[in-house]
Amino acid sequence: MTPNGALIFATLIVAGVTLAGRITGILLLLALCTVFAAVEIRTRWLAAFAWPVAVVAPLAAFMTIVWVGVVGRSPDEIAAGLPGTRAAALWHVAIISSRLFVVALVIRAVVLGFGHITPLDFISRLKVPLTLKKLIVLTLSWIDTILHAVDRSRTALITAGVIAPRLSLRNAANGWILVQTVWLSVITIAIGRARDKWPAENTLSRLDRSLDAPARGLTLRDGAWITAAVIAGGLAVLA
Amino acid sequence: MLTTPRLIAIALCAALNFSIGTIVYLIKLPIYLDSIGTILCALLFAFDRKTAFVCAWLSSIVSLIVSALLINPFIPWFAATDVAIALVAAFLITGGAETFRARTMRPGAFVGRVLLYGVILGVVAAVVSAPVVAYLFGGVTGSGSAFIVALFLKAGQQVLSAALLSGLAAEPVDKTLQVLLAALLYRATPRDFLVMLEARAEAPPSRAAR
Repeated sequence: MTPNGALIFATLIVAGVTLAGRITGILLLLALCTVFAAVEIRTRWLAAFAWPVAVVAPLAAFMTIVWVGVVGRSPDEIAAGLPGTRAAALWHVAIISSRLFVVALVIRAVVLGFGHITPLDFISRLKVPLTLKKLIVLTLSWIDTILHAVDRSRTALITAGVIAPRLSLRNAANGWILVQTVWLSVITIAIGRARDKWPAENTLSRLDRSLDAPARGLTLRDGAWITAAVIAGGLAVLA
Repeated sequence: MLTTPRLIAIALCAALNFSIGTIVYLIKLPIYLDSIGTILCALLFAFDRKTAFVCAWLSSIVSLIVSALLINPFIPWFAATDVAIALVAAFLITGGAETFRARTMRPGAFVGRVLLYGVILGVVAAVVSAPVVAYLFGGVTGSGSAFIVALFLKAGQQVLSAALLSGLAAEPVDKTLQVLLAALLYRATPRDFLVMLEARAEAPPSRAAR
């Protein structure tokens, strides 16, 4: 499957599950996503479920506390002015949670499906404007730089006694200095790269060349998955 | 419009959105702090409001894509909120750029503008986010503000109005904090960097321009 096909598939699933109002429609899309994960990720398909569970389980628990524990009735019952039941509230939580689960699952399945190629390779194969590809690649690079800057600045400020390595009132008072130090550190690196390093190494032209490779058209396999997503999405909305 | 230094600034602000937003999301603070980069991006391009909007919006879109793939799969639903934040940042908050960078800080004007912009941005974000929070999350997004939603629901409010009222209670505080941080980072940004962004030509300015 191509990255473009996978992203179209994921977008259709997300659109379908967003518009699906009933649990049967959501379960249909969940089944399709499970088959997608099994076919496209194969041996690691179970791993695709770990992330959605980790993301949705706390949210579902939280929703259960709020809807079942505190509110005690469903939104429909509130709208109708009925006293309501906790069972209806729980059903509401189940629908919302399963919808969120499908979204997280399809995104994870797409990410894992391309785990064998580098992020740069994945982005270069996308059929989107070159500027957007370049922005995504630069952002991923800056995220690393920022995280390194956080590590370095934190160590330096702890050594200087400005902030403490553990929970402390000093951190609340001087935490801002850490943020400012990180920003200044990153900006200095950015200026150095833009003015000296990247022009000398011709980095951006090289990046342009590697990202500008012609994207492959959709394959038959893409077409099959996209058709399945359209059909399942349509049925889920109509269910 | 998108020269190399500008692309670098947009990516930097997107990375800032992602980094701070991720830390806050993972430690479940009752605030978001995921638009500091967007607001800062608009301030960096305060010399041209149209450019400021395009760049701020691009930074929010890119951070949204990266966050959706790596950390929070539900964030793309808030894309409209990001557009609203970029609009307010570019066409309103940039009006305070001179105050934020004044050589001698005037605390009264600085704080006044931060509070004003923060509250307006918070109200706009709350109004635009409310339908998403109500429909897709059933009013509960997992942040600490969900308990405010619960209180409103318990009092008999509809989900949409509960999400809106909760947003109006929590968002102005969050956005004021974000405007404050963005303004302070903008103030700390070296003049060199701003000169690079203002240059229309692709070639970076010479060292003499410093």
